[in-house]
Amino acid sequence: MLVRLDRRSVGGSEPTGPTRQPSGLTPTQPSPIEGEGLRAPFALVETVRGVRRLAAVDAAGANLGLFPGQKAADAAALAPDLAVAEAEPEQDARALDALAEWCVRFSPAVAVDPPDGLFLDVTGLAHLWGGEAALMADFRGRMEKAGLDLRLALADTPGAAWALAHFGADGTVASPGDQAGWLAPLPPAALRLDPAVAAQVERLGLRVLAQLFPLPRAPFARRFGAAALARLDQALGRAPEALCFRRPPTPWFARLAFAEPISQPEDLARVAADISAVLCARLQAAGRGARRFELAFHRLDGWAQAREVGLSRAACEPSRLARLFLPKLETVDPGFGIEAATLAAREVEPLAPRQGLLGAEAEAAAEDLAPLVDRLANRLGEDRVWTAAAFESHVPELSCARRPPLAPSTALGPGPGWDPEAPRPLRLFRRPHPIEAMAPVPDDPPVQFRWRGQLHRIRRAEGPERVAEEWWKRPIEAVGPARVRDYYRLEDQEGRRFWVFRAGLYEPGPPAKWWLHGVFG
Amino acid sequence: MSDFRSRRLAAVRAKIAVLERDGRADSESLPFGDLAVDACLPGGGLPLGHWHELAGEGLDSETAASPAAFAALMAAPLARRGAVVWALRSDDLHAPGLVGLGFPPHRLIQVAARDEAEVLAVMEDALATAGVACVFGETEGVDLVAGRRLQLACERRGATGFVIRRKPFGGAPRGAAQGAGAATRWRVAAAPSEPAPGEFGLGPPRWRVSLERCRGGRTGAWLFEAARAYGEDLFQEGQDGTHPLRVVADLGDRELASPPLRAVG
Repeated sequence: MLVRLDRRSVGGSEPTGPTRQPSGLTPTQPSPIEGEGLRAPFALVETVRGVRRLAAVDAAGANLGLFPGQKAADAAALAPDLAVAEAEPEQDARALDALAEWCVRFSPAVAVDPPDGLFLDVTGLAHLWGGEAALMADFRGRMEKAGLDLRLALADTPGAAWALAHFGADGTVASPGDQAGWLAPLPPAALRLDPAVAAQVERLGLRVLAQLFPLPRAPFARRFGAAALARLDQALGRAPEALCFRRPPTPWFARLAFAEPISQPEDLARVAADISAVLCARLQAAGRGARRFELAFHRLDGWAQAREVGLSRAACEPSRLARLFLPKLETVDPGFGIEAATLAAREVEPLAPRQGLLGAEAEAAAEDLAPLVDRLANRLGEDRVWTAAAFESHVPELSCARRPPLAPSTALGPGPGWDPEAPRPLRLFRRPHPIEAMAPVPDDPPVQFRWRGQLHRIRRAEGPERVAEEWWKRPIEAVGPARVRDYYRLEDQEGRRFWVFRAGLYEPGPPAKWWLHGVFG
Repeated sequence: MSDFRSRRLAAVRAKIAVLERDGRADSESLPFGDLAVDACLPGGGLPLGHWHELAGEGLDSETAASPAAFAALMAAPLARRGAVVWALRSDDLHAPGLVGLGFPPHRLIQVAARDEAEVLAVMEDALATAGVACVFGETEGVDLVAGRRLQLACERRGATGFVIRRKPFGGAPRGAAQGAGAATRWRVAAAPSEPAPGEFGLGPPRWRVSLERCRGGRTGAWLFEAARAYGEDLFQEGQDGTHPLRVVADLGDRELASPPLRAVG
């Protein structure tokens, strides 16, 4: 369903039939038994509480009197040449998601309406196709080429679009603002009411929506529930309805379609550069920059491949973007050809050009470093480029946290918050290495220790520095005095300096465990 | 007459010096503040705009703690001028350790690369970026081609590179150091420290450093000490003038022609 900015939605739904293949967008599989001009009925079967029932039937089956929910045995009796297949709802859901991804070539705001519907918001997009009728025709043509049967409708509100798609004529375009007129001849089930409420409405003799509109609201809500009234309001546009779009719709969106499908890597690179130029021009005109750009290539056979680029500072330079996209395009598989490319910008921020101050070296350096950090982060991964930041913890391995390099630092003063007087090693091993140490009791540093087969005799030592566990993080019953580490700074005969700790308090009996946590410079 | 001749000789010498340097401008240098060391280095200090190589021995060939500490302290005055990028293969560099030694880490960007080639590529990329004052890289070895590329990257913006030779834990030894075109090559080993009289425990960290190769200068060996490490006056403004490293003793053999200099420790 296509929706426009001023609230026009198009609903498209595939008929609840097995003509939609459970495994992706492959063309409709012909029935195994092909009659003379007549297709044999086909149904999907599922097991409900131990009984085999029909999950879906196609048009031929419906003509013979089959319906979803019927027992499979009864259906076989009614239609002896019925062909069946297992219903696979997860595959269907995945196929619908893939279809929604592909529909991004029409509009960036696509919402999935399980089990077999899609909403598309086409606000402001109709001019790209030369009118709404052309847009619907293009959409229908491409879907049918992919082998999908569908029913389309275009309306101002999602509720109206859903109603027209499911119960109205196929391909209706409701004129803006006239939902009541278009919805009047439809049955009450078109409002997406609860089945119980819909049955009640029917029982009371209200067979078409035209009878529902003039009813007073308060008694309506009392009789049928507030949800029913909400649905009515949503369909008529009196109340807003929020759709859950696949991605948050962003107005910063550019789309390029090609007359002939492309597949060469040079063409992909050129497309990335061109579409970056288009979107960045728009961003620049509005004085904004963005931090995340997502470039999606839409293939002929209905798959879309997306590549994302992140920047450490908002920018809108097309050459920089194109250069960052270049290594990511190598993994794009064009298949039979790519027919459209879309670029969406997220995390858009205002980007006013600032007057540089004379002598503002720190600002200028940060601006120069941003391209370097972006290149490294996009090439190696964002978790591989960082700056160390102090974290409030007395446990050594937790006291140093990572943050993105150019994020504004909250530290005051030259030091980042670590105490320069507490000696910490230059190399801290991720996991302390076990060592065999010999120490006179009870609290003295070791006189020698063996690490990796080498014996080190200690000449000088400092310590102990006691680091206890973070007792506030565990239940109070589990806290005890034994989970401590006594750190010693040791220097051996040759001058090498180590950071060694003993785990636990000293107890007579079992020898204490010693570990090497780091090496000083 | 002789004045005119001496002036002309000086001009010719300067011209030859420029030709020797391939027409590059006279590069800056960072003096150590000690006559013995500065006399060995060309330009009276550590040449900036070039890359230098540091290696350790024994345990340090795998942990590379002493070479890294020495390199960080050598470059501490540079870290205040611009950003510092450190390319590592194993992410065990602990920033609080750098703070204690006297290296300001709030402009340090650490990059974890996946293999040797990537470390060198990151170093090249960072050296050629404006706003970066020095770049450290931990790698096993730099061959001739890579060394030349690093030198070209340094010259583009005048940044300084430090290659710390380190082999992965348990790796096979790679062989003798190849002469790869570094401006200076140092070998750093830890030395026993002496606490101040009246104090107990460990003293400020000391290193036995030998300058094995120096383009345009002499070799030498010294005992360095980080006098202000783990002290409370580490980042005070008044101390910015002095170099964080202090020569304790002169260990190496020197040219007989130069006057014997001895720094009193």
